[in-house]
Amino acid sequence: MITTRLSRRARLLSLPVRTVILLSTGTVLTLPLLAGCTENTPAGNTDANAGGNPRALTVQATDSECKLSATTAPSGNITFAVTNSGSKVTEFYLYGDDGKRVVGEVENIGPGITRELVLKAEPGNYITACKPGMAGDGIRAPFSVSDSGDQGAGGYDIQLVDRANDNYRNTWRISPSSWWR
Amino acid sequence: MLANFLIGLREGLEAALIVSILIAYLVKSGRRHLLPQIWLGVAIAVAISLGFGAALTFGPKGLTFEAQELIGGLLSIVAVVFVTWMIFWMAKAARSLSGELRSQIDKAADASRWSLVIVALLAVGREGLETALFLWAATQTAAQGTGSTAGPLLGAALGLLVAVVLGYLIYRGALKINLSRFFTWTGAFLIIIAAGVLAYGVHDLQEARFLPGLNNLAFDVSGAIPPTSWYGTLLKGVFNFSPATTVLEAAAWLLYFIPTMTIFLYQKRQRAHAAPSRPAAQPVGVSGRK
Repeated sequence: MITTRLSRRARLLSLPVRTVILLSTGTVLTLPLLAGCTENTPAGNTDANAGGNPRALTVQATDSECKLSATTAPSGNITFAVTNSGSKVTEFYLYGDDGKRVVGEVENIGPGITRELVLKAEPGNYITACKPGMAGDGIRAPFSVSDSGDQGAGGYDIQLVDRANDNYRNTWRISPSSWWR
Repeated sequence: MLANFLIGLREGLEAALIVSILIAYLVKSGRRHLLPQIWLGVAIAVAISLGFGAALTFGPKGLTFEAQELIGGLLSIVAVVFVTWMIFWMAKAARSLSGELRSQIDKAADASRWSLVIVALLAVGREGLETALFLWAATQTAAQGTGSTAGPLLGAALGLLVAVVLGYLIYRGALKINLSRFFTWTGAFLIIIAAGVLAYGVHDLQEARFLPGLNNLAFDVSGAIPPTSWYGTLLKGVFNFSPATTVLEAAAWLLYFIPTMTIFLYQKRQRAHAAPSRPAAQPVGVSGRK
């Protein structure tokens, strides 16, 4: 019904409508292509990866469980690939050792979906939590990050500004927390 | 499927409402020529979100948690500024409907073309990245080979579709009601929405530790209003109501809502006084109206 409305106004709207149609067509066309790319990228969300890269962890979340592939990881850039095989929407949190400070969080992990939390972890003790139903304290467990000498990208220094152009993420990783402290 | 449907609905609802109100306004006030601006903003937001989301999902690089929260939080606060501008712009432009200033205001409206693009862009783009990441994750699930299922993607897409249909219905409904009533209701409604967006932005910034007080809750009614329930979804989707609200969120909500609503109602009353009776000559070029 929307399309008929649009076509009636086609004269008035011709250019942007064309843009919208082009863009949405483009999206529909590229969607399978992009989806095809998954095999090429080692996304760290397959179980096979769990043993390989110690910084690529998996989390199997259900309505009552929150199983991590490991309870420790070397410091640096850590990825948690959280798969929800329960029936409720879940969230995954990495808290500081006080259980309150949010170090990282990924939300909207619907049933059947895998989502990744990428963060720069410094050595120390943490607490992981899955929150099936998106409320409450969640299913918590201790987690530790050992000192690997790798601090991940980051740290607020002048050089970063120069490097910013090559790597968008580095730009962002002049993380707000480093300004805050 | 239902859970993913509710996520799609929640993420799409607010954007659909803001955009449909804006479109209804332009159509009702005979400014259809500004509609392309809206579609352009929506198209840019959708394209950027999906593109950026896809690059992060399938490309070699992800986005850190802080960056995502920072983007979400800052975009929310900028969105509040623009939606507020839109509310008062609509009210101001409405005055001209009844008469003489119309052409003058329309010139101003032409100057705000880009602002309209940005309002639409922000309304959709604010949560666009998060929604895109969620959609692409669902797509990945559907395309992954072993144990793959299109259920989550279907659910999510259906949720977004229902949000758009609801927006369309609101647009249809808005066309039927009287213009001045339309302004009062949509203006007040948008102020509540914007206050919610601001509180949401504050929460994002608290999570990113840009602002303190994440664990300092004003109230927690998660028990009475579970976030997974359909009414929790609607409250979150439309008003960004969070069952567990921090003190800072609540404060930001009130500090925005009270003065903005006061000014809005005050201006409305002034207009009512200034023009106690609408001119009998009604058909002042509301030509575009259906």
